[in-house]
Formats: sequence, structure tokens, C-alpha cells
Amino acid sequence: MTPYLNRPANRHVNSLLWIFGFLGLLLLLDLVLPIANLFFTSNWTAASAALRQPEALQALKVSLRSSGIAILTMTLLGVPLGYLLARAKLPFQRFWIALVFLPMVVPDLAGGILLLRLFGPYGPIGHPFDARNIALTNNLFGIVLVQMFVSAPFVVASSLAGFSSVDSELESAAGTLGDSAWQVFCRVSLPLAWPGIFIGIILAWIRALGEFGATLVMAYNPHTLPVFLWVKFESEGLAGAQPIALCLVLLAVIAAGAAMNLNRFTGAADVLAPVGKATKWEN
Amino acid sequence: MMTSGRGFVDGTPLCRCVGRALAVLLVLLLVPKVGASTDAAVSVLYAGSLAAVMENGVGPAFVRATAISYQGEAQGSLGGARMIHDHLRSPDVYISADPLVNQKVLMGPENGNLVRWYMTVAASQLVLGYNPTSKFAAKFGDVRAGKLSWYELLETPGLRFGRGDPSIDPKGYRTLFLFDLAGKFYHRPEIPRLLGEPLNPAQVFPEVVLLARLESGEFDAGIFYKHEAVAHKLPFLTLPPEINLGDPRFAASYAQESYDTKTGEHVIGAPILFTITIPETVHRRAAALAFVKFLLSSDQLLTGFGFSTAAHKVGGDAAQVPQELCDFNTGAFQP
Repeated sequence: MTPYLNRPANRHVNSLLWIFGFLGLLLLLDLVLPIANLFFTSNWTAASAALRQPEALQALKVSLRSSGIAILTMTLLGVPLGYLLARAKLPFQRFWIALVFLPMVVPDLAGGILLLRLFGPYGPIGHPFDARNIALTNNLFGIVLVQMFVSAPFVVASSLAGFSSVDSELESAAGTLGDSAWQVFCRVSLPLAWPGIFIGIILAWIRALGEFGATLVMAYNPHTLPVFLWVKFESEGLAGAQPIALCLVLLAVIAAGAAMNLNRFTGAADVLAPVGKATKWEN
Repeated sequence: MMTSGRGFVDGTPLCRCVGRALAVLLVLLLVPKVGASTDAAVSVLYAGSLAAVMENGVGPAFVRATAISYQGEAQGSLGGARMIHDHLRSPDVYISADPLVNQKVLMGPENGNLVRWYMTVAASQLVLGYNPTSKFAAKFGDVRAGKLSWYELLETPGLRFGRGDPSIDPKGYRTLFLFDLAGKFYHRPEIPRLLGEPLNPAQVFPEVVLLARLESGEFDAGIFYKHEAVAHKLPFLTLPPEINLGDPRFAASYAQESYDTKTGEHVIGAPILFTITIPETVHRRAAALAFVKFLLSSDQLLTGFGFSTAAHKVGGDAAQVPQELCDFNTGAFQP
């Protein structure tokens, strides 16, 4: 049926659309103008030269490698957790869900300090490793830990939402037809929930790629792209920092664009379903 | 389909309520607070190592003495200057941890003459700060008692040592100079090798991160300015004036040291001096003058924070120094 707002001219709906459109536009200006400004005012030849510097390439490599490892680990650990939170009747269910979201509300720098105190050479976890000459901070491992801390909530939350929106009757039906719990998960729950989870993973990847505050504290070396951006900003000012900023924005835009297109192939459109069971508006 | 209109009918009082609350909030946030205008506040951009001194000492004392409000911002010495240069900050007063930063980044027609003069405020020196709860704490006691030299202590296997990043922080390259000078002073050429590469990733950290790491016990020792150690109540070992870059009498031997940054700058060793200036970005000139005057006459406050006093000499164009500050001028500064 025709959605309410798209029905033939209705005076009230029209004014609503105009006003909401105007309000939305104001917000869009704040979101899009800085990026547009960066693209139009950048010196692209200088930028591409700056990006070919070995340090910049090295930082890019560190960022891609660490965020790649972080994303794989988060998917392996976060999707099962999301399923558990959506389907298992856990005691203190709301508490566990709140816990998963906690890193989202902890300021970056504070997160870095928390992690450092735990995984640093004298921290309760870092110390036994340190005694065996294994460092958990200031290396790729430290970066991955930080990235997982800040972006895992995206994966878990999207999995939770994705699995919650799967009709549990479908799962029961598959079960009564003789599928084992594993088969139901692999053939029914995961494929149906996947589009939402996939978007969560991409968002998590972008968040991991851009993570700065906590990384600075936890692993200044090797420089990730955002830390390298800061070093350039501190030592060379805007001229040195702008090409790196451009590169980071481009990476994020490419990732977001790819995610939207890939999602078209994977199916469902309700990619960012609200947490909890999807409400049925239509009977 | 949303059950016909129920949401709207039921929601109306709630909608109105939320709408009103939002409108009130917006008005409250947008309307400037009466009587709390910060128009008269002096904005001071200063070298990061001064954060504790400025926010806990100088800032509050200035407000008490003059009733002018104060707004401080800590940035890396070089980073702060770059921000002024790139028009990202327009402070009333700029304090640098290195006279050369003024000259390289802010002065001269190539930098838009954003700064035309500066005055030296105070001197500091490099010290070896350490964590009193470190497992090597007893060894630091041995150094204090003269049973062990500080560089032998740093050779202890497993001891974690941190220092500033020479590519973003004057203290970073000053630490390189310190170790080089120490090698010559003690006739121990292996001392500079304790640092490894200038950018040795195991040792090099941004200023704030290094302090946090030492205080949280991630590091056992690090090179700091004396005023940082004092402000953070960090125990420290002082080093001989021949090598600590804190004594103008040894300026000639400090000047033997140099470092080339990755951006192609050639920095030369010099006594550690903090400078103050009113850049051309000033908005509140009277408040800025009051602040500079206050700082130039706060020697006692500054020594309490671990600085040494320094003659207030003028670098750049002495004719541009505001009339009100001329009394403080004790001569020309030769970097």
C-alpha cells in the first residue's frame, strides 16, 4: 500500500514535510559541509605526494592491519554474544546488554587509561605477560585491543537487533522439521539477521579505523593513521595534516558506500533495526 | 499501519510537553548568561609542559590579583605555534617552551609577522623523574646516596625509560642533547646509545602520555622538565648543569649539539627558556598586557613551581615591545 506520506497532496502532510525537510537540512549542513570543504579546498597533488611518503604508507598499513584483525575477532566473538543476548533467557538480561553498550559512553581518553592500567606492563593482566617478555601495549596487539574496546558494541548491538528481529516461529519450525540447533542457527537465524549484522560490522570497522584518543594512550607506536595525523598536525600544522585527514575521510566514505551497495545484494532493507524486537506496524 | 490516529491523539499532550521542553532548553543554551560574559577573559595558549603550573598556579593567581578572567589552553609547543600560524587559534598571549619556535613558525614576513617580539620569562632544566613505586625504586635511592650513577641505573635490565618525541616536542630533542652531552661529560660514549634510535618506539611518547604512564606505573623513569616533576609531585634526580640544559653559563657547549627533524629543520642545543609574547591575533590587548606584566613579575611563584629565574630579554624587534612592558626589558636576546 502507499505509505502515508506519499499519498496524493494533503495540505498538512506538505507543511510537515517542508518543516522537517528544513530542520533536517540544517543538520546535514553541519555534517556534510566540513567534508565538502575539505574536498574542495585540498591540494590533491600535494595530498597524493604526502600519502606516498613511507611513514604515511606505514601508518595506513598499520591501520588496515589492526582494524582488520579487530574486525575479524569482534565478528567471531560478538555475533555469538549478540545471539545469546537476543535468544537466551539470561539472568540480569538488561544488565548484560547495558554492559555491552558501556564502551560507547566512555570517553576515548578514559578508555585508553582503563585499558593501559589493565594491560600495561604493571597491570594485572599485562604483568604476567611482561614477565615472559610479551608486551600488550605500544604494539599492534595494543592497537587491536583499543579498537575492539571502542567498536565491539556496534557488532554486538547489531547482532542483538538482527537476531531479535528474526521471527522465532521460523526457528521453531525449522527445529520441528528436524534441524539441530546449529543447523537452525546457520540456515535460518544467521542468514535472516545477517544484513543488519553486516552493517554493524562495517560501522565497527569505520569506528576502529578512526579511533584516536585511546590509541594515543595505549599504543603511540606504531602510529595508526589517526595518530600519524595528529603527529603531522603537531609538527607541520594544517599543511602536513590535511592530506592524512583527506585519506581518512576517503577511507570512511568508501567503506560506507561499499557497505550500502553490498547490502543491496545481501537482501533486506531494514538494516538499522532498533534494538529489541522489531515492532510490527502492519497487520 | 499505525492504528488510525491513536498515536497522534494520545501523543498530543506529550508532544507539546516535549516540544516546549526542547524550546526552553534551546533558549537557555543560546541566550548568553547575564553577568558571566567571558569578553574580558585573557586567552593564553601555552606549551603543554606548563599545564599544571598555568592551571593551578599562574592562572588562579592572576585572576585573584587582577579580577580579569583567564582562559588557558595547553598545546605542544610546536603544535600551538602551528595552530596560530594556520589561523586555527587566535590567543591573546602565547607562551613557548623554546625561543626558536617563535622565530621559525611565527616571526618574519614568511609567517605573516604574527609575532614581532618575545620576552624570556623563566628557565628550566631537564631532570630524571621516576616512579616511587617502581620495582627499581631502591636503586634510585642508591643514586641519591651517590652509590650509583644515574646512567648506570638506566642500564639496569628491565628498567622502563621514556622520553619525549623529538618530532613534535622540544623536550624530545633536548633529551637527545642531554645524553650526548652526558657521553662527553662523563667520557662514556656508550651513554647516548641508551636511547637507541632518536625515535625509538619503545621510549618515545607525547608529553602528556609519558607523564600519565609514569604516574600509573607503566614506566620507571623518564626525562622531564624540572617544573613538570615539581607540579606532578614526581620524585626526580637532578643532573649536572653541564648537561641539563638549564644553565646559560654552558650555552656554548650546549650549542655543540644539534638534531635534524624529519621535516628538515636543524635544531641546535640551547639553554631551556620559556618565552612570552602578545601575537598579532590578540583581541583583548589590555588584558593581555596585564597578564604578561603579571607573569614577568611572578618570579617567586615560578620558582615555587621549579623554574629558575631568567633575565627578561627581548628577542625579535625590541621597538615593537609595548610601552607598558619596556621596564622589564633587560637587553637583547641572542638565540
